[in-house]
Amino acid sequence: MTSITVLHGASLLSYLGAGGLAMSSLAAGHRNVPRAGVALIATALLVHAAGLIVYTVRFAELPLVGLGASLSTLAFLIGAALLGAAALRSVRPLALVLIPLIAILLAGALTLGLAPGRTVSQFRGVWFAAHVVLAFLGYASLAVAFAAGLLYLVQWRALKGKNFGRAFRFFPPLETLDRLRQSALFLGFFALTFALTLAWAWTIRFLNTLATENLQVIWGVVTWLVFSAALLSRAGGGGAERRAAATVVAGFFVVVLSYVLLRVVADARGFL
Amino acid sequence: MPLTLIGLSHHTAPIEVRERFAAEVQAGRPSLDQIAQSPGVSEAVMLSTCNRTELYLLTEHEPDHDALVRMLPQPPGIDVQDVPQFTYTRAERAVVDHLFRVVSSLDSMILGEPQIQGQVRSAYESALKLQREQRVVGPVLSRLFENALRVGAQVRTDTRLGEGAASVPSAAVELARKIFGSLRGRHALIMGTGEMSELALDCLIAEGARATVVSRTEGRARELARKTHSVAVSTEGFSAVLPTVEIIVTATAAPHAIVTREFMDRVLPRGPREPLLIVDLALPRDVEPEVGAIRNVFLYNLDDLHQVIQGTMAQRRAELPLAEQIIIAGVTDFWTWYRGLDVVPMIRGLRERAEQMRVQEVERALRALGHLSPEDRAAVEALTRQLLAKWLHQPTVKLRQAAANGHATDILTAARYLFELDREQDREQERDRERERDRD
Repeated sequence: MTSITVLHGASLLSYLGAGGLAMSSLAAGHRNVPRAGVALIATALLVHAAGLIVYTVRFAELPLVGLGASLSTLAFLIGAALLGAAALRSVRPLALVLIPLIAILLAGALTLGLAPGRTVSQFRGVWFAAHVVLAFLGYASLAVAFAAGLLYLVQWRALKGKNFGRAFRFFPPLETLDRLRQSALFLGFFALTFALTLAWAWTIRFLNTLATENLQVIWGVVTWLVFSAALLSRAGGGGAERRAAATVVAGFFVVVLSYVLLRVVADARGFL
Repeated sequence: MPLTLIGLSHHTAPIEVRERFAAEVQAGRPSLDQIAQSPGVSEAVMLSTCNRTELYLLTEHEPDHDALVRMLPQPPGIDVQDVPQFTYTRAERAVVDHLFRVVSSLDSMILGEPQIQGQVRSAYESALKLQREQRVVGPVLSRLFENALRVGAQVRTDTRLGEGAASVPSAAVELARKIFGSLRGRHALIMGTGEMSELALDCLIAEGARATVVSRTEGRARELARKTHSVAVSTEGFSAVLPTVEIIVTATAAPHAIVTREFMDRVLPRGPREPLLIVDLALPRDVEPEVGAIRNVFLYNLDDLHQVIQGTMAQRRAELPLAEQIIIAGVTDFWTWYRGLDVVPMIRGLRERAEQMRVQEVERALRALGHLSPEDRAAVEALTRQLLAKWLHQPTVKLRQAAANGHATDILTAARYLFELDREQDREQERDRERERDRD
């Protein structure tokens, strides 16, 4: 077992501990995730960062190529967003949604193995790093927007249905969740737009094509459309907040589903 | 010197009685320095709130009940003979336990209410202020109240006893916060000018909301608006401001619904643009239930608010075991110190006697060891001091513990016998008598 695997495993355990604390706080009728939960998230993130640094040193490249490494980097970015959210006391319950996501990504990374991809991409260097980091930032933002949207729908239902139980007490105010979701969507939208622009700039410059048949490009465009739909659905009044929350939740599942479908097609054509 | 408490509270006296006692205390009848001057009273603190009037005393001897009753205020209209039926007394450890529970709001009418800590602090500080003219609080009640306030603060921070809304206006504010987050700058509209409207208005303004008051009696609306730096509009102006409003609190005395579905559909045909919270505090209700079905409208009535309060109270009750643990630890801590006061003269005597013996023995030994250097002599001194301190440490601790556990009498008798402290005291008294004879 390598130090990279050990560090990733330890990070996963810390995240699960924080998730457990968040769950038990909700079950006990508390109003927030305790500070110990935030400390566990911070610990998990630090250990995770150490794992990624060891990876970079050992393989002399950033953990951006290969599915295992990519999942780990994406999980790290979501973890960083979660820690940022946890610093704002009112949105700590996002951990209930984001920690399971991070855990799935990390478990996937550990199962697939943390080593660089065997195929050498033509599209390497600074352009590549900037493209992948921006794309991952987009997907991490989508995850945060999804978590905020999901909690919004649950809290909205509790308030409208006059169900003043655990969820009502534990989940943040509607306004806070609405603002957080919109901020995450804006950030993710711009990050993904830049990521796609960089990729196309490269393919046009060196391959003289838009690479529309490339499955990664297709997935990126689907995600970009989901971002656009979620942002547009917030425009106007009369329940736009709830509409936007529902759109981003549905959009997240569309992105995940499209990834699964593209993976099925990918066997022959190569895909992350 | 026994600790004693006499008081009356919402557990034992109806509000008509409590308010008269509170009024007498406010008027300074009797004043605390009068009580402190009563025969046999060493220290006194009077706690008076709308729910309780309590007198905490440290007395020289166990006081009789009638004397205690006479120290309480004597409100006009209540015969002194009738007072005992409303009062309760506590003695010794039960006084400590009672005060710690009171300050932690475990004895309050609304479990976990925050005001009681300030009220206890203010009662203690009032007694301290009098201290400049006459001593009313000494080391025992000072320590009792300071420890009580510390325990109260710990209960507040270490448990969730103070969390959530426990009154109708605060439940309305909690609902508003769950929708809007911060209420700063939110536009609230208050319909009605009664007591409940005023309470809700105060709560919303305290949260930073800007308010508009609507009432059929325009003069009263203007007066309330002026008092709270808000705006008043007539009932006719209600439809005009409605589209800009985010929170509506209604508490009118109207015999029928004044905000109907038909009215809302007419004024806001596409529903409110932003979430609209309507809190109906009136009975009969001011808002038709169908209004709650409008998209983006969150409508709550008194029953809903009571549901929020019940949730809070259930959560607070679940915190009681933890709060009790903190209180028991605090009471034990104070009681150990307080009972330890009984053995202080004994411990002092024991230490003085032991030190006397040490000095004598060291002097004798050093005379025989004349060849020692000054450094060696100092080392012998230090060694014997350390030995003595170590040897006396455990008996001192055990004596204090015995006192705290109520076994002081037997242990003190045994210690006096074993260390001949009585003979030492006799010798001291004999020396005093000789000195007096010499002076004569």
